[in-house]
Amino acid sequence: MEIFAGLATVLTSPALIGWVVLAAVVGMIVGAIPGLTASAAIAMLLPVTFYMDPLSALAFLYVIGKSGRYGGSIAAILFNTPGTAASAATQIDGYPLAQKGMSSKAMRVATVSSVIGDYIGEILLIIGVGVIAAIALMLGPPELFAIYFAAFVVIGSVIGKSVVKGLASAALGVLIKMIGTDPITADERFTFGSFDLLGGIGLVPLMIGIFVLAEVFSQLENKNAKTIQYDAPSSEEARARNRLSWAEYRPCVPHVIRSSFIGSFIGILPGLGSAIAAFVAYGEGKRRAKHPDEWGKGALEGIAAPEAANNAVSGPSMAPLLTLGIPGSTIGAILVGVFLIHGIQVGPTLFVTSKELVYSLFAAGLLGIACYGLIGYFGAAAVGRLIIKIPTRVLYPLVFLTAFVAAYASRGSLFDVWVMVTAGFTGWLMKKLDFNPAAFVISFVLAGGAEEAFRQSLLLSDNGLMIFVTRPVALGILLLGIGAVVFRIRSLRREAKQDEL
Amino acid sequence: MTGSFHRSVIVGAVLTVLGLAAGYYASLIPQGAEGGIGGARIFPYIASGAILVCGILELLSGLRRQDTSPLRLTDIPGEIASLLAIAIGYVWLVSKLGYLIATGLIAPLAMLLFGIRNPPGLMAAAILCPAIYHLIFFELLGVFPPFGEWFDLLDILQGS
Repeated sequence: MEIFAGLATVLTSPALIGWVVLAAVVGMIVGAIPGLTASAAIAMLLPVTFYMDPLSALAFLYVIGKSGRYGGSIAAILFNTPGTAASAATQIDGYPLAQKGMSSKAMRVATVSSVIGDYIGEILLIIGVGVIAAIALMLGPPELFAIYFAAFVVIGSVIGKSVVKGLASAALGVLIKMIGTDPITADERFTFGSFDLLGGIGLVPLMIGIFVLAEVFSQLENKNAKTIQYDAPSSEEARARNRLSWAEYRPCVPHVIRSSFIGSFIGILPGLGSAIAAFVAYGEGKRRAKHPDEWGKGALEGIAAPEAANNAVSGPSMAPLLTLGIPGSTIGAILVGVFLIHGIQVGPTLFVTSKELVYSLFAAGLLGIACYGLIGYFGAAAVGRLIIKIPTRVLYPLVFLTAFVAAYASRGSLFDVWVMVTAGFTGWLMKKLDFNPAAFVISFVLAGGAEEAFRQSLLLSDNGLMIFVTRPVALGILLLGIGAVVFRIRSLRREAKQDEL
Repeated sequence: MTGSFHRSVIVGAVLTVLGLAAGYYASLIPQGAEGGIGGARIFPYIASGAILVCGILELLSGLRRQDTSPLRLTDIPGEIASLLAIAIGYVWLVSKLGYLIATGLIAPLAMLLFGIRNPPGLMAAAILCPAIYHLIFFELLGVFPPFGEWFDLLDILQGS
């Protein structure tokens, strides 16, 4: 019922509708620009949202995240360069279709599948989030710490090529979060006598550095890379070839439904994200396909499956964020910042204190999906043409300048700009050395809550650390986290052995 | 495996040193009233310990590999170093000359670095970039601008 009230709130506010439409356009364009991600756009626009009301700010950034995930498919299909990591699987079948002069058809399949996947994910979130929140309210500090621990190790170990470097990235994020004053005793930690460090490292400049400035460094390194666009020819025959009929799309439907559930399930798990969902769905789709030999050569199902999965991640990835305060993705980590800036505490009590806001946000998400779906179905090719006209040698210097002013605007502090520059270079270096910047940022966000839960657990305990062993739910979750790392190490070793053979 | 021996060893060594240094500084944090295992030091200890362990593991993994390609300073390309220098210079210039002049100087430099060689374009960037960003962030959004310590164009423009 709350969702209908949320829809009423959204649909009766022209300003909010305007923000959602703008977010759909911005997200699609940013997602389609190779190199720029929705996370980068959200990080850059975050300071602008300080001046908006909480619902508009959250809805604006949430819809950019959704639309950005979809926008990645435009670059994957038209330029053979995935706009986001999540759309790399779409490229496998999307680009061959574009080479055959059917880019518009490929884009339409991607759009319809993304919309269906996103709606399924969002509806599952709306149905399930209340239940998860109710369960979360029953968890004590030891169980919460166990969840944080599992999130750290899963985020650190699952993404990237090296488990050790991934876990080191997560530990670095925790260490950087420790800078400042202790939240309980107010003792100084790692401040080295600096007044600026007393307040700790700001989330906004850190994220702008890692997601925006680091990307500018990477783009500078690759500035000579050429992009070729295969657009649909404009003859009548070509237009007819690019129309998408129900008969053509019907075989995609089972793949879209299955992939949407795969994406939704992966979305709930912290750290895995859209890219993994897209590849799992692609692999599963190919395994079950009637003609698997056509996959990779321009099969429509090969576009539908990963696109549905990567967008289905979007809604469910909000579940751990809203109910436990644990962001499952980089976009989630940024949204935590928005909640905090507007004085809203994420976690189980959010559904008691700000239920209306949460359901209005979901409603804005539903509207945002429709917006990017409509714009994408009729205008994705035009967006592609627009992007190819934006020279990266102009775009990235502007992104560079925006990063500075955005980092400054977050708190009006030049110290934050120094933080952003340091984070930007560190982020570039981390990528270059196969570390995991996403794990670093998510762990930075998680560290405060994890420390609080850990120390509260010890205050409750008569036997010190034994509290985590004597509470079965906490123990189970801890073991699950350790199991995930062991599983990941074994699968990496297996892959390495296969490579050697 | 090529290129991974020295790289892993160096990365592992850096992480190990960082973990040790962080552990040392964590030991300097006052224990506070809570004291013991639940005090202000525990999480910094956990984080530095995790970095130390990861560093040692990376170091050992590098030593086990029979590959001798080193991590060279040239692995950081000149353009990247230039952009980093521009970034550092930009923040310093903002603190000394204010936002407008600093951005007016840095915008064409950044565009030059990305390959724009058109003088009118660079000139336009020098004038338009500071003006547009100033209007959006400091006028429309009302952010308090960073004033220059030595000189600030805003003082003249605002007639003070």
